[in-house]
Amino acid sequence: MIKRFIGGMKERDSRRYFFTYLGGKMIGTMAVLALMLGLAWYVGGRAGAQEVETPLTAAADLINPVNTLWVLVAAFLVFFMQAGFMMLEAGFARTRETVNVLMECIVDTAMCGILFWAVGFAFMFGEGNGWIGHQFFFLSDAPATYGTTGVAFLAFWVFQFAFADTASTIVSGAMVGRTSFKGDLIYSVGVSAIIYPIVGHWIWGPGGWLATMDTPFRDFAGSTVVHTVGGVLALTGAIALGPRIGRKFKRDGGGFMVGHDMTIAAVGGIILWFGWYGFNPGSTLSAMDFEGVGRVAANTTLAACAGALVGIAFMYIRTKKWDPGITINGFLAGLVAITAPCYWVSPLGAIIIGGVAAIICVLAIDVIEWFRVDDPIGAVAVHGVCGIFGTIAVGLFATGDFGIPGATGADLSTGTVTGLFYGGGTDQLVSQLIGSAVVTGIVLVAGLAMMYAIHGTKQLRVPADIELEGIDIHEHGGSAYHPEFAFTGTGVPATSGASKEA
Amino acid sequence: MLKLVTAILKPHKFDDVKEALKKDGITGLTVTEVKGFGRQGGKTETFRGSEYTVELLPKIKLELIVDEAQVAKAIETITAAGQTGKIGDGKIWVLGVDELVRIRTSETGVEAI
Repeated sequence: MIKRFIGGMKERDSRRYFFTYLGGKMIGTMAVLALMLGLAWYVGGRAGAQEVETPLTAAADLINPVNTLWVLVAAFLVFFMQAGFMMLEAGFARTRETVNVLMECIVDTAMCGILFWAVGFAFMFGEGNGWIGHQFFFLSDAPATYGTTGVAFLAFWVFQFAFADTASTIVSGAMVGRTSFKGDLIYSVGVSAIIYPIVGHWIWGPGGWLATMDTPFRDFAGSTVVHTVGGVLALTGAIALGPRIGRKFKRDGGGFMVGHDMTIAAVGGIILWFGWYGFNPGSTLSAMDFEGVGRVAANTTLAACAGALVGIAFMYIRTKKWDPGITINGFLAGLVAITAPCYWVSPLGAIIIGGVAAIICVLAIDVIEWFRVDDPIGAVAVHGVCGIFGTIAVGLFATGDFGIPGATGADLSTGTVTGLFYGGGTDQLVSQLIGSAVVTGIVLVAGLAMMYAIHGTKQLRVPADIELEGIDIHEHGGSAYHPEFAFTGTGVPATSGASKEA
Repeated sequence: MLKLVTAILKPHKFDDVKEALKKDGITGLTVTEVKGFGRQGGKTETFRGSEYTVELLPKIKLELIVDEAQVAKAIETITAAGQTGKIGDGKIWVLGVDELVRIRTSETGVEAI
């Protein structure tokens, strides 16, 4: 190439062409440089003239937007937990009801959104009395920001909708495999529009009676509000339905009906863990309390880790197998349990809470099995029982160093939360026990009444032949896997009339 | 003389049939998930709103090899345990087996069952 260049330079025409070309390039480059310098001088001069004016936005003006963004990011993470629930439940279910599981989660989500817009949010977060709110029906008369949070009202609504949806989905977990789709729609209205918001109002609503006790009941992110409520309702559903046909319980010489896809279940579990990073840290409702956000995120992580390890170890001692189902339920148990105390405990406290929760979860599964209640995915043990434990753990493990998060940072003005193990006496523990017992009891009674009422109208459970052949084929028109194997080949669209005689 | 007994069953009946056969002393069987149609054909399913006539329904194919003397008993057991009385309960058929060898030991005939 160089040789060719040198050869070319020996010819006069090429030489002239080369220097003309080079000269043109240089003139162009100089022109661009001059333009850049000129512009810089011009703009620099103008900017200099404004130097003394105050900036358009002061730092304080950014607090609400930043907090709102944080709450929205957290809301999106919590929403993604739906994907986790779908996969976990589908994996632990049998092939024949997989479409049903997926459809219940999707349609529950859609219904919950509309119901929470119409009445749910009003019952839960509207002003009212200690028992129920009645403001913001259909999100009417909404202010710019919610309460003292400084978070945009509708962003706060999205966050709380995602929570309500989680509670509603937990309920379906224990009812997999025999609930009719219509029955699911009916009880979901009761859960999303009535039971969850009203109970939630007592704890998180303005003036809720549990939140305004002398020593307020503390549930940071919803061990009671979301998980105990969801888990206990799941229990009432499973009791009203009865077990799946052919389910033999351990005391009768049987065991769990095996799920159909461990990969899907395991990935779903991890997606739930990921979503929990919105669930717990997002419940600060404030990015300004950044130390709180960090503490909550760390405690959430550690409780999940401890839950997984204790769960797997506990099962290994029992069965000499590294059990995947209990490992998943173990970290979920840890996550559920740390949900209430995550803001007030130390990292070591979180590890102990997570580990104990995993053992409680395994034992609770045994007890539920002993009572011959068929809970295909362990929702009652994980969410119901570990939710109760996590709530009580606030009264034991709270360090006394932390109060509540505020819009501009950690807020100690209303006092700190101290548990029994940190010299706080039994005040907080008693409040936790009262709150947990009342919620568990009332939700149990209300849930049984609702589920048996729906069951009484023959809408809750599918007929036996549908259950045996699979809800998917009968209620949703086809199976989850390889539908084309049945459809193509000899299967052609019925509307073409070609296959009618078959 | 050895016989191959093949049965097509409703999937949810398989466990009952298996337990009943085990009670009869059957020491092994082979199972395949299959799809097919018989007189039950013509079920309508939907996919994204379009209706399809599905001619293939999921079934379980169960195969076991027994001595000729046990064939009647095996058929009776499978029929009793696999029956729902509704259309689609499946079929049983029996074929002769020319040779049977247990791979591990090279045993043949009745010994290899």
